[in-house]
Amino acid sequence: MSSSVPSELTTVAEEVGAPVGAPTPARRVIATLRSSPPVLLSVAFIVLVVLLAILAPLITAISGWGPYTFDKSAVDSDLGGVPIGNLGGISAEHWFGVEPGNGRDIFARIAFGAQVSLSIAVSATIVTTVLGVVLGMLAGFYGGWVDQVVSRVMDFLMAFPSLIFMIALLSALPAGNRPVLLVVVLSLFGWPYTARVVRGQAMSLRTSEFVESARASGAGGIRIVFREILPNLRGTIIVLATLAVPGYIGTEAGLSFLGVGVTPPTPSWGQMIATAVGWYAVDPMYFLIPGTFLFLTVLSFTVLGDRLRKALDSGDAAS
Amino acid sequence: MTLYLLRRIASAIGILLLISLFTYAIFFLLSPDPAVQICGKTCTPDRIDQIRAQLGLDQPFWQQYLEFIRGIVMGRSYGEGASAVSCAAPCLGFSFQTNESVMDMITARFPVTATVAIGAAVLWLLVGVSGGLLSAVKQGTGWDRGAMMVALAGISLPNYFLALLLQYVLVVQLQILPFPQAVPFAEDPVRWFQNYLMPWIVLALGYASMYARLVRSNVIDTLGENFMRTARAKGLPAPLILRRHALRPALTPVVTLFGMDFAGLLGGALITETVFGLNGVGKLAADSIAKNDQPVIMGVTLLAAFFVVIGNVVVDVAYTFLDPRVRVKSA
Amino acid sequence: MKQRFSIPALAAAAVLLLAGCTSAGSGSGGDGPSSTPVKGGTVDVLLNADFSHLDPVQGFDGGVNNFYRLIYRTLTTQSTGEGAKGTEMVPDLATDLGTVSDDGLQWTFTLKDDLKFEDGTPITSKDVKFGVERSFDPAIAVGSPYARLTIAGADSYEGPYITGDLPSIQTPDDQTIVFTLKEPFADFASVVGQNSFTPFPADTERVTTTSLDKMPIASGPYKVDSYERGSQLKLVRNDSWDPKTDDVRKAYPDGFDFTFGLDASTIDERMIAGQGDDANAIAGSVQAASISRIQTPALKARTIAGLQGCTTYMGLNTTKPNMDNPLVRQAIAYAIDRESVKDASGGSQLADIATTMLPPTVAGHTEFDLYPSKDNAGDPEKAKELLAEAGLPDGFSFTLDIRSQPKMQAQAEAVQQALAKAGITVNFNLIDTSTYYEVIGTTSQQNDAAITGWCPDWASGSTFLPPLFDGSQIFPKGNSNIAQLNDPAVNERIAEIRAMTDTDEANAAWGALDEQIQKLVPTVPLLFEKTVMVVGANVAGAYSHAGYSGGIDYVSVGLSSAGK
Repeated sequence: MSSSVPSELTTVAEEVGAPVGAPTPARRVIATLRSSPPVLLSVAFIVLVVLLAILAPLITAISGWGPYTFDKSAVDSDLGGVPIGNLGGISAEHWFGVEPGNGRDIFARIAFGAQVSLSIAVSATIVTTVLGVVLGMLAGFYGGWVDQVVSRVMDFLMAFPSLIFMIALLSALPAGNRPVLLVVVLSLFGWPYTARVVRGQAMSLRTSEFVESARASGAGGIRIVFREILPNLRGTIIVLATLAVPGYIGTEAGLSFLGVGVTPPTPSWGQMIATAVGWYAVDPMYFLIPGTFLFLTVLSFTVLGDRLRKALDSGDAAS
Repeated sequence: MTLYLLRRIASAIGILLLISLFTYAIFFLLSPDPAVQICGKTCTPDRIDQIRAQLGLDQPFWQQYLEFIRGIVMGRSYGEGASAVSCAAPCLGFSFQTNESVMDMITARFPVTATVAIGAAVLWLLVGVSGGLLSAVKQGTGWDRGAMMVALAGISLPNYFLALLLQYVLVVQLQILPFPQAVPFAEDPVRWFQNYLMPWIVLALGYASMYARLVRSNVIDTLGENFMRTARAKGLPAPLILRRHALRPALTPVVTLFGMDFAGLLGGALITETVFGLNGVGKLAADSIAKNDQPVIMGVTLLAAFFVVIGNVVVDVAYTFLDPRVRVKSA
Repeated sequence: MKQRFSIPALAAAAVLLLAGCTSAGSGSGGDGPSSTPVKGGTVDVLLNADFSHLDPVQGFDGGVNNFYRLIYRTLTTQSTGEGAKGTEMVPDLATDLGTVSDDGLQWTFTLKDDLKFEDGTPITSKDVKFGVERSFDPAIAVGSPYARLTIAGADSYEGPYITGDLPSIQTPDDQTIVFTLKEPFADFASVVGQNSFTPFPADTERVTTTSLDKMPIASGPYKVDSYERGSQLKLVRNDSWDPKTDDVRKAYPDGFDFTFGLDASTIDERMIAGQGDDANAIAGSVQAASISRIQTPALKARTIAGLQGCTTYMGLNTTKPNMDNPLVRQAIAYAIDRESVKDASGGSQLADIATTMLPPTVAGHTEFDLYPSKDNAGDPEKAKELLAEAGLPDGFSFTLDIRSQPKMQAQAEAVQQALAKAGITVNFNLIDTSTYYEVIGTTSQQNDAAITGWCPDWASGSTFLPPLFDGSQIFPKGNSNIAQLNDPAVNERIAEIRAMTDTDEANAAWGALDEQIQKLVPTVPLLFEKTVMVVGANVAGAYSHAGYSGGIDYVSVGLSSAGK
């Protein structure tokens, strides 16, 4: 599959399959992370993008250019609408330049695009994590027919050529509330990957001592699942969530690139890259800027998640 | 063993049927009336009814679905009389927009998809596995750190962005490569190779990065296992240890993952093919979705699912041979 | 700035054509696209999309119509040459433009001698009749509708495969064919130039509803040698075609190689670079992004531009609330910023501002601008005044149907921005490219407005204004009158002009009707889009044909030197 989401999370699944012991103390994890320069850089970039997304309306009020306002004077109508000036029209007025054809401010569109990408990716992550954890735990702990049903459903969803289906589904459905639709579709095909990992861990925790003792003291199934098993999965869940975000950002951008993402004129990084395809020979900044933002955001989350996993794993190696 | 195989195949067929039902139902509910589309600009309600009857669209859902399944097994025909069209088994559908059977459209384009998939696979296996091995052996060194940073970048880079970047740098600025142009191998092998080089690189980078990381961590884990310590204690030289003892357990998961990834690619690397204008199955899917050619979308979806499910079965069976522990369980 | 194909321009073109016959085979380049081609060589055509159908009864758009002329002939056809000269109807298979009976209901055409299909069998009137009959079969009746609209007996007839013979087409002998019409149609000579009037051997076994899409039977100067759907089509000479019977087609090249499925940006790159065999290549219009790259003298010499001959406009659904108020529609017409819509479509080289519905390439086109603004940038103040007058001082909002295709989206965004200045909020309803025309053509599904285009089926106001504005042409499905205009005065005038027998009078009348209709503002004309095409250095005889959406006329193009 050309979408990086499923394959990437598959890798995570293989690697985070190790049985867990007692959870690593948070203090130790944070200390480990703080000492690593790549992590610090990644966190800094993530914070930057989040701030950009949250403060987008404020920032564009300062710069004077919203994401939808046209600026005819910034493009050359007789030359096909190419931005005037070097580097795609970067100037004091337009910090990242303008879009060809309509002269919209790219900085504003990056900021508002960040809103779109992050909100969709985070929402999808939340839904996926909740669904995946609950179903994975139930399947792993109870086994039997519960496990059979959940596992068959997971097999079914994972066998689907999800990218084709997502595109076909999104293009067949009326525009409606696109962001919600995107979150639903992304989550529908994304939860099995979380669930599979959680299921594996729940299965191994099922036979551990504290579960035995909880059962001995008369605690019922559901109680054990949520009181005993869930806390032990804390580390796994954090890692899975952190690594899911970049996957969803990438997939949403990919869907927007193919034209089935958010509806214009709402800005989206993937959509900006798609429009920039035709212009790369004369205005490379138009695709370089959103592309770089996309790349660095995904990279930052991935680095963070990676290090988190290492820090959490290394704590368990001792046990 | 045979029992296990039969069970797996049965469950694979079951999943495929389920996928086909699900997909058929979704498109049945959501697609605009294909009869109206075929009818064109100057349409009358009578004509629409006639076309619907011809396509069998006036039948209830279950009947249409069963006809479809029957077509896959035995072949079927659409319409009646002089204008009937027949579709040989396996009939994945018939596109009335292009007047071709879906299977024919797919087989015409499959060679391109296969070329992309195989070339990329060779590239990513070579680069990914050897890169991962080297990193594992040189764990902690500058090489290791550098390679893993590149790998991280590789999995974070969206492939359409990389495609654009490569084209801009290699074709427009440095002019090392000519811009992509479909040329058959027989006509001009060099040009053919140049044509596929960028798609191969773009597709392979993500997988190579993933595989490098996977191989590295697996090999490191294996090297730290007890049986490895025994081998070293016995005085065996390091390359021998690596080759005879470490590789197999480390690479087994890679083999299975590769089976899945490659099977997925045979269904068409949609984004890569679209960006580079390669006329493969993936581009067929993208174009058909744009034109809302429902039978083709159905056919391609089923084909892609078929490869993935078969890949799953192959991988599971291969695993029983590769991993002795698994074999014992299934006996 | 309007582009006009005036006499001086035509004269200049003629001079170039005559003077262009200098040293043939002079080095690497040719003598420029307007020089006369030599016989021989193969022209490469690079296309993004495949032809919809090889069966002329099913294909019906500018690109495929142009292609059909290479392999098919019809009773009459459009001429060659730029501007109005090219859209004139001239005889093709027929000896003249037909004779009509006194009651205007019967048209008689005589076929020329020595007409043959590609296998050498003669083309008779029965074969022409069979070709036309095929266009009535519901399964394939998706192309030109004019045979069904004009010929008598159409209502119950379902084509040669289902019903059988159509009595209203008579073939008294092998050279004569007589059509009986439902009612008089002055322009029938143009109707018989439509694709459905291509002859095919009158054999229902040999020629089915699907066989021609796979392998056509040629009557033109070329025949299909091989066809791989979606990737390649090769044409070679049809030796049974006799050039003495054909005044329109020159057939200079020995063959054509069409390549499909190429990415639009890639096509531009190749045409700009023009290396190797691409020197013999032609393609469609360049993307907006390439415009700034083709300004060098060398590239300008290889660039051909022309009007597409169509009008891009925004239709306002007069049955919807607010849109049913003429003051509101006038406000919209004033507020529209045509300059920004033009920029969104690629700037001044790819589009001209339109203030009339009839494009300049249609006979009878008259200039007027009923809702002027400075620099065509829109007048939001005037719009606000009109809205206040209409009882909407705080503006209002409406839903615009748009097609999810980049250029149309950009145009829609320009409209949205401009109307926002007048207090009008435009919401988008994004529709899939493939179903767009179906949705806006269904009266129960269309929203308040839609941006679309219209190209005349032949260069007469009669194929432009009635489909868009005649109240009797409103259909629940497949509707072209998306404004749903049903004004008695307009309907009456349309019927009057249709009945006119003097074409010049009729053309002038259509032009005046255009202005009369615009007073009601059912549509806001936006642009006349243009094609800008870069051709290979060795290409000759290339010009933009106004009858084929501004594309290069295939039957006139060739190479400067055939050695390559």
